[in-house]
Amino acid sequence: MKKFLLILMLVFFTFLVYAAQIELVFWTHEDPNRTPLEEKYIQEFEKMYPNVKITRVTYPSKKISEVILTAFAASKGPDIFNMEIQNEYPYIVNGRVAPIDLEALDLKSFEELKKEYVEGALDPVTYDGEIYGLPLELTNWAVFVNKKYFREVGLDPDKDYPKTWEEMMEVSEKLVIRDGEILKRRGFDFRYPYYLTFFLPMVEQLGGKLISDDKKTAIVNDDAWLKVLKYMKEWGPNGKNLGSPTYTNARKLFNKDNNTVTMCLSGLYQIDRIRADNPEFYESGEWMIIPFPVFEDAVNDVRCNYYGHYYMVNAQSSKEKQYWAWKFISFMLSHPEDYLLNVGLVQPKISLINSEVFKNYPYADVFIKDMEKSHSVPLLINGPQFNQLIREAVESVMLTDTTPEEALKILKEKANELLKEEW
Amino acid sequence: MKSLEKKKAVWGFIFVLPAILFFIIFNFYPMSYAFWFSFFKKNLISLRPPKFVGFQNYIYLFQSDSFWNSVKATGIFALGTFVPIVIFSLLFAVLISSRKRFQKFLQLAYYSPAVLSSVVAATIWFLMFQPYGLANQFLNFIFNTNNIDYKWLSNEKMLILATIIVYFWKYVGYYTIIFIAGIASIPKSVHEAAIIDGANKWQDFWYITLPLLKPTTLLVSVMSMIQTLRTFSTQYFFVQSGAPIKPIEVITLNIYNTAIRDMRIGRASAMSIILLLIIMFFTFIQFKISKSDEISY
Repeated sequence: MKKFLLILMLVFFTFLVYAAQIELVFWTHEDPNRTPLEEKYIQEFEKMYPNVKITRVTYPSKKISEVILTAFAASKGPDIFNMEIQNEYPYIVNGRVAPIDLEALDLKSFEELKKEYVEGALDPVTYDGEIYGLPLELTNWAVFVNKKYFREVGLDPDKDYPKTWEEMMEVSEKLVIRDGEILKRRGFDFRYPYYLTFFLPMVEQLGGKLISDDKKTAIVNDDAWLKVLKYMKEWGPNGKNLGSPTYTNARKLFNKDNNTVTMCLSGLYQIDRIRADNPEFYESGEWMIIPFPVFEDAVNDVRCNYYGHYYMVNAQSSKEKQYWAWKFISFMLSHPEDYLLNVGLVQPKISLINSEVFKNYPYADVFIKDMEKSHSVPLLINGPQFNQLIREAVESVMLTDTTPEEALKILKEKANELLKEEW
Repeated sequence: MKSLEKKKAVWGFIFVLPAILFFIIFNFYPMSYAFWFSFFKKNLISLRPPKFVGFQNYIYLFQSDSFWNSVKATGIFALGTFVPIVIFSLLFAVLISSRKRFQKFLQLAYYSPAVLSSVVAATIWFLMFQPYGLANQFLNFIFNTNNIDYKWLSNEKMLILATIIVYFWKYVGYYTIIFIAGIASIPKSVHEAAIIDGANKWQDFWYITLPLLKPTTLLVSVMSMIQTLRTFSTQYFFVQSGAPIKPIEVITLNIYNTAIRDMRIGRASAMSIILLLIIMFFTFIQFKISKSDEISY
């Protein structure tokens, strides 16, 4: 009888322990430098709170938005996730993510939270008076340059680096190496297919807009759009063949320093990736970072759009899970200097921006100066569809016989149809 | 006697029951659900209930340039793929069947790409279609040209051809095996009788093998036609890797983009129902033709 009671008590306590266990599922995009850091935070958090177990799962950057969408459509979304803000925004509007649990963050109001961040940093995730995400990073892109290849063709990288898009084409033509028609080394190439991030500012420099101020018209200022579409056509394989969306990612090849790419577009985090991928190149001092170029006849000095990755919590998770999820996110993000030094990610926290660590970080000034002249990627409920429509227009002029005029006509029709569509 | 038949029928039903249940749960239920959903407007991530819109999704599709472009892309791909597949798989099957040695090895070699994941196949070929890849090197060798870029991924026609080549390479072996089985089912005595009557190898093939293979040829052509209408992986991978979408946006890719990118699950369901009807049409033809061409020895 005693034995039976002992077993019964054991079963009962095991049940209690498991019942109290909180299991959080955390989906994020692949970033080899961030993984060890966040795995470490998970271990520390689990040690601090033994009732919480966190499973971190990574997906490729290009796939994660699809994976999360499919999971949410089936009401099987993860407890914690992050994507680019333009992809996260529809989740806020559709009530699929939970507002920040202030109690979990030991805060009294959202105003108190806002004071920790640089002005406007939480605006993209503020909706109906509540805040729905905490920023992992706020990123803009600048141009990474391999100085060695500049000198190889008789250019001085410090003086001759491209300041305008016209110069970018000119310099790239000097930097390319061809074997017959086959491109062996590119001068520069764009960061396809993130057209809302890098292409839209090029249009805006010339006075164009994605959506009119009254929000009634999409694709404003035909001349600006046409000029940039013509530029891209000239850039592509059917023009001067300086680059193409079908070629291997320029920023991946850049790190290898293998004579295939001279310049690429990327964020501050690329520095740590160079260090991880090719320490010799990192130490050589043969690379530098220059601002995002502008057109010679630009009417607006707009630089590359910045975007954010915000950690969010599934609104369908239980209240208890939501509490622990926010507590864990807050814990992870309480190490902004680690994220900067190990991953190159900039959390828009006032404490970090004012710190010596940030001020002394290589090329941080280039990014900050560009960011001052830039704005966030447009946040629209159907932002991903707008990106796709621009992608179709750009890639059709670069990779098919479609003229810029035809591409613009189709883009305008489809974008305005999309704008008028109600959900 | 009747009770024995009844017993047999009951047991027969019991044996096929798992398959019926499997079909109902994993095929019929999703199909019915898609049919039901095709009459609704629904944002994939919205928690709001779907809104009934009647035939609006179908009307939209029939008036949409994008949908007709997909029908065209699917038609070009299906025709461009299934004709060479039928011809070459038949030729390869005859070639393999006529060999006395290495028959099994050749069957294995031809069939092996079919076992490969479609995404892996697309990845391998995407690399080969790069300007510095094997495809350009091969054409430069054939045409004796010096490092010409044949623009496999940046010319509409070449891009379509590229997707056809990937599919052809992957599935020609599969249909070859079906033809080999068809050839093996023709009794040797028929060939022997023809040879005794003075037929040469060509006449034996043309007047004996080919007519007796008619049901297999029809099966292969209709099967490959249906399969090509459902093509997805190669086009998806190529577009994801930067290829222009318009020339290769087959119906399945349009369904995927409409549902996952645009989050319009109702419209995507309507498109999948239209594709189902197209496939059912060809299946119906298959049944009709194969019935009238049954061969018995």
